[in-house]
Formats: sequence, structure tokens, C-alpha cells
Amino acid sequence: MTRTARSDRLHEVVRRFASGDGDHSFGEIALEIAHFQREFSPGFARLCASRGGSPSRVDEIPGVPCDAFRLTRVAVHPEAEDRLRFYTSGTTSGARGMHAMRVTETYQALALKFGRAALLSNERAHHVVALAPLLDDPPTSSLGHMMAMFMVDFEQRGHAQVRTGDRWLIGDQGVDLDGLQKAAERAQQLRETLLVLATSFALVGLLDALDGGTLPLPTGSIVMQTGGFKGKTREIEPAELRTTLARAFGISEAQIVSEYGMTELTSQLYEATVPGSALSRERSGSPGIYAEPPWLRVIPVDPTTLEPVPSGDVGIARIIDLGNVDSAIAIQTQDRVRRVEGGVVLLGRAAGAPPRGCSLAIEEFLASKPQ
Amino acid sequence: MTDFDFEARRARLDPLFESARSLADGTSERGRNARQRLAASSGLSAEGVEFALQRCLEIAPNEREIAALIRSTPIARVAHVLLAGNVFVAAHRAIAIALAASSEVRVRASRREPEMAELLLAGAPNSFQVVHELSPLAGDRLWAYGSDETMADVATTLASGVAMHAHGSGFGVALLDDLRSESDLERLLAGLAEDIALFDQRGCLSPRVLLVNAAQSAVKTVARALADELEKLEERVPRGRLPPEELSEIAKYRDTAHFLGDVFEAGAGFVSVGDAGSWLLPPTGRNIHVLPSAEPIAALASYGPLLTCCAFAGEPARRQALGRTAPGARVCRFGEMQRPPFDGPVDRRDA
Repeated sequence: MTRTARSDRLHEVVRRFASGDGDHSFGEIALEIAHFQREFSPGFARLCASRGGSPSRVDEIPGVPCDAFRLTRVAVHPEAEDRLRFYTSGTTSGARGMHAMRVTETYQALALKFGRAALLSNERAHHVVALAPLLDDPPTSSLGHMMAMFMVDFEQRGHAQVRTGDRWLIGDQGVDLDGLQKAAERAQQLRETLLVLATSFALVGLLDALDGGTLPLPTGSIVMQTGGFKGKTREIEPAELRTTLARAFGISEAQIVSEYGMTELTSQLYEATVPGSALSRERSGSPGIYAEPPWLRVIPVDPTTLEPVPSGDVGIARIIDLGNVDSAIAIQTQDRVRRVEGGVVLLGRAAGAPPRGCSLAIEEFLASKPQ
Repeated sequence: MTDFDFEARRARLDPLFESARSLADGTSERGRNARQRLAASSGLSAEGVEFALQRCLEIAPNEREIAALIRSTPIARVAHVLLAGNVFVAAHRAIAIALAASSEVRVRASRREPEMAELLLAGAPNSFQVVHELSPLAGDRLWAYGSDETMADVATTLASGVAMHAHGSGFGVALLDDLRSESDLERLLAGLAEDIALFDQRGCLSPRVLLVNAAQSAVKTVARALADELEKLEERVPRGRLPPEELSEIAKYRDTAHFLGDVFEAGAGFVSVGDAGSWLLPPTGRNIHVLPSAEPIAALASYGPLLTCCAFAGEPARRQALGRTAPGARVCRFGEMQRPPFDGPVDRRDA
């Protein structure tokens, strides 16, 4: 079987697994994808060889460090087959990583399935807006692309117009407070709820623009927040941000749900807090606990040995994402996590090696690296 | 500068040099005590401390270099020194520059490595003061060493009229511009291994990248040979203890490097090999990234402001071209990266 045929089959297997009617277990699929990537990705083959060869258990699959996405192409297929390329925002350094996708249907199926489970509380149609800049064409931000998918799918209006300024409420002047107000009023008139998709720093920008005022959302509305602050705004502790947002929007704190995603992943994790959502019925819904979809597993590992830590201990997250058929089945992040009942708790990014005098730090180097 | 001024400035340096000489003597009580204290504060192995003292502490700078140091140092009412914590011998040069600038020198040591300044002072009492805080006033000069972040922080707190000489973050590179005979290559790589291993690579002069003007296959051979040299050296000079954060950085680098190309174990560290243009800056702890480059000098242009030191092996004319590409960096031979002439600061970025 050719590489493409094997990849297509694996995508099909993953989508069937996600829909609940597959014949294979998570572990079987993860290992099959790992073996496929080992065969067609020389980089992953070398990484496996450094661990003694072919992994035979899920927790033996080595994670590809996120830095690899910033320094080289992480894909089993050639560039000509890319259908989408998502770029990282660069965090504290200037270097941007790229996640190439040959098959977009899997991304769509997985993101929508778990997004619906986490964000939709009933069958009512939502009006969806994003506190984000207007989506590029073609999209280069995985988050923006996901937001656009949610707009089309969750509203169930057929071919809804997505690339319109009244949906993307960050402009040159910052947060479009007026636009959000209008969207809230319109949803109210139509007796719909509003789903506001936003980054944490956009929400802080919104609070600053409100300057202590309020912007009530229709009953049952949901705010999805994601990402860190990336030095773009002042930082607010998650609990304080949640409380302040709930007050500003006139909704309960449970209706503010955090998402964890990365450009390097296909899938996302969510807090299971939204009242009435499928996810909240399945998992414990405490704020700060991120539920994994069935096709993704977080393994906390020791930051120095990269071996799994005992259950309940803090480690850095290695994420096995079955959606990453053509890139890296396992991603090694620097995010500190602990497994708890119902999911994982995020504890912030592991501190890099502290600067010792004048020796150049890696982040500084990446920031200065020519693109 | 009159001869009298010069002699007065020169005379201030002698007690410091004498103090350094007595520290370097491992047979004396003072020398033995220094070794224990420096091993505890620096995290280097006992052999690493000895290696650094023997190879990098300038105990007999020549008069030509000293004269250059004095002539290139501006006079100050009071000279203040903020030391970095990664290379303990650097205190010696930093204090010498300050003494060349002023008869009144105040030194603030790094919290990470507070010993060397105290040890030098003990051997040269009253030459300078070790203080907990620096408060320079208008007309004073401050020589500051550390990360760019520290330099920026310090700059914002300075009173107006204080001249600051900032030596911030940087790194060293090595350029093998023509592949020599096997014996030459072995000698060059043995020297480079020492440059890497000194201070467990924590200095801003430490090489982190080696560019080789050769085909990929030859580059791989060079990388393997360098890994062998590092391994051999580690038998004599073991790597010191590294904190978990540094070990974590190394684990991340190692796996990233495996994804990018070949990786050779080099004692406790690693030598990684990339394709042309695949720059990767390994973390400190005796790790280096090796990559081919048909135009290694041009390849450095983008990193010029960050370069402190370039070891070079190749034609003299090419060496001059390298100096023009990275004017802030010292250009030296392999094995001499950690021993710049005692004629001023270790790099030229403040010139």
C-alpha cells in the first residue's frame, strides 16, 4: 500500500474511532500511526531509534518537541500535498512553527465533534462570533480556522457567511465593543444564545475597553477562552478572569469554558463546565480540569528523563493525538500538567533553564533567527 | 594620557595580578580553599574548576596587552562592576578594567557565584570594594556583565550621567573553513572540545555551533570526531552538576536534534548534525550543533550582534573577512576561545 493510501486509511480509522463505531482501540491506532510515521518521517525514525527502535506501547512513543515545528518541516508528505498550513504565533520568540495538513476532513470532524460536546448545551442554534482578527484566506491560524468551522457548523444555517466583519471582532483599533454589543442584541431578538470565541488576551482587551462596565449576553450564552497572554496585554489569573468576565457578561462562571489547543495538534481539550453540555454529563466539570477527547491522551512525563511520571505527579505534557496522522502522533510540550479525575490540570509552562549570565538563551536565539 | 597617569593606573593592577597568581597555585592553602569554594558556587566538578583556573585565569598577562587594556579603558570618577555568575574567572578581567578606570572600584558579585570577587579581594586587600548594591552617580562608569534582560533592567535604574558599558547575552561559534589533514583536524577538534568543556559551556564565549565548509558526509565525520574528543576530555574533566531545568533543556534539545539530523553522544553532552542552514542553538552543558556551510562567513552575518567569539581555521584572508562580518566578536584559533588576550573586555561589542 502506498503512503497516501495508508494515510487515507488511517484517517478513516481515526474518524471512525472518533464517531464511536471503530474496531480498534486507542492504543492500536496510536501505535499503527507511530509505525507509519516512523516509516515515512526520517526525523521520527531517528527519534524512535534513539529510544531503542519501534515503540510497542503508547507510553513508549517518543514525543516530537514543539521546537521541531519551528526548525523544520514535520510531515510525512511532501509540500505539494499540503492542503492547509497552520502557523504558530511565535509565543515569546520570533520563530514560527508550521503544521502542514494533507487531509482536512479529520481535523474538521474531530474539532467539531468535541467542540459540540463541550460548548453546546442544547439544540438551540447559536450565533457565533470571534474576538479575533478576520480570518486569512487561506487560513494560517488553526484557531481562526476552528472558529470559522464553529460558525458554520454550530449555527446550522447552511452556507453561512463567515468572512464578514460583524463576526470577527478584533480590528486595527482593538476589540470591536460595538460589534459585540450588536451581536448580543441581535441574538437576544432572535432568542438565540451567543457563543463568543476568544483568546485570553482579547478578553482582557475587552474588559479594558468596558472599563468596569457590562455587556450582558443572552441567557445561556457561552464564552470560550483559549491561550495565554503572550505578552500582548496585562496578565490576569484564570480564576479572576473567569469571575470578572462572568460579571461583565451577566452569565455564570460555568458558562465560561477554557479550551487548550496548539497549532501542532489536531485536537483540543476543554473544561467540562458548560451546563447541559454532553461533556459535562460525562465528566466532572470543575474549572481548571481539561477533559481529553477519546482520541487524545495526555501523558505527564519527567522533564529530564521524559519517562512517564507516577499517576497524580506533575510532569510535562506529552500529547498523543490520533488526529496527527500525517505530522507527529506524539507532541512533547513544556506545559506542566497533573492527571486528576476527569482530565488534566494545567500548571503553566515549565521554566526554561534560568539565564546564567551572558550565555545566550535558546529563546533569545530563536527570536533573533532569520525567518 | 601622561606617563604618570599610565603608571598610576598600571600600578593599581599589580595587587590584583598577584592575588590571581596566588589563587591559581593549588599547592597553597589559599589555592586549595579557593578551589573548594569555587566548586561549590559554580557547580563545576573539582577538575572543571582546576581546568578553568589553569587555562583561563590570566596570571601573567604580558605588558603589551596590559598597556592596551589601560589605553582602551576610559577614566572614571568611580568604576562600578556588576559581575555575571557563569564564568568565575571573568571577575578578574572585569575588576582589572575597573581598576584601570579608577582608583575607586566597587564590585557587586552575582548571587550565583559570589566567591571569586571575594577571593581576589582577599589577596589584594583595599584594591577595591565588594558591595551588595551599586549606586553609581553622575560621572561614574558602570561595567555590567550578564544577560540582555539584566542589562536592560540595570539601564532603566541608572542615574543620568552614568556611563554604562553593557556586555549582554551572546555566544561563540567555530568555523572550519578548510578541512586539513587528519592530524591537523584532530588537534583542532581537541582544542574545540576544550573550548566547549570549559565552564561547562556556560560562558558567552563558549562555542555552541560549528560551521564546516564541506559536504554533509564530511561534516558528519567531523561531528563524530568532535564527540570522541569531548568524551575523552570528559574522562579527565567531568561535567559538573546541572540543575533540573538545564537537564530538561538538554533533553528537549537532544530530541529536537534527533528529529533534525544525526546526534552523537559526547560524554554527558551531545553533538548534533544539521543540514545546511539548519541553525539550532544547543543548551549549555557541553553540547554543540554542527552544520555544513559553503559560505560560513556569510552565514554568520545575521547573527553578528550576538557573536562574542569566532574560532577560525582557514586562510588568513578569509579570517580577515570574518572579522569584518562580526566586528563585535574576537576571532581566534581553535582552543583559544576562552583565553582572549588581556587587552580589554572579552568581546568587542562595546567598542
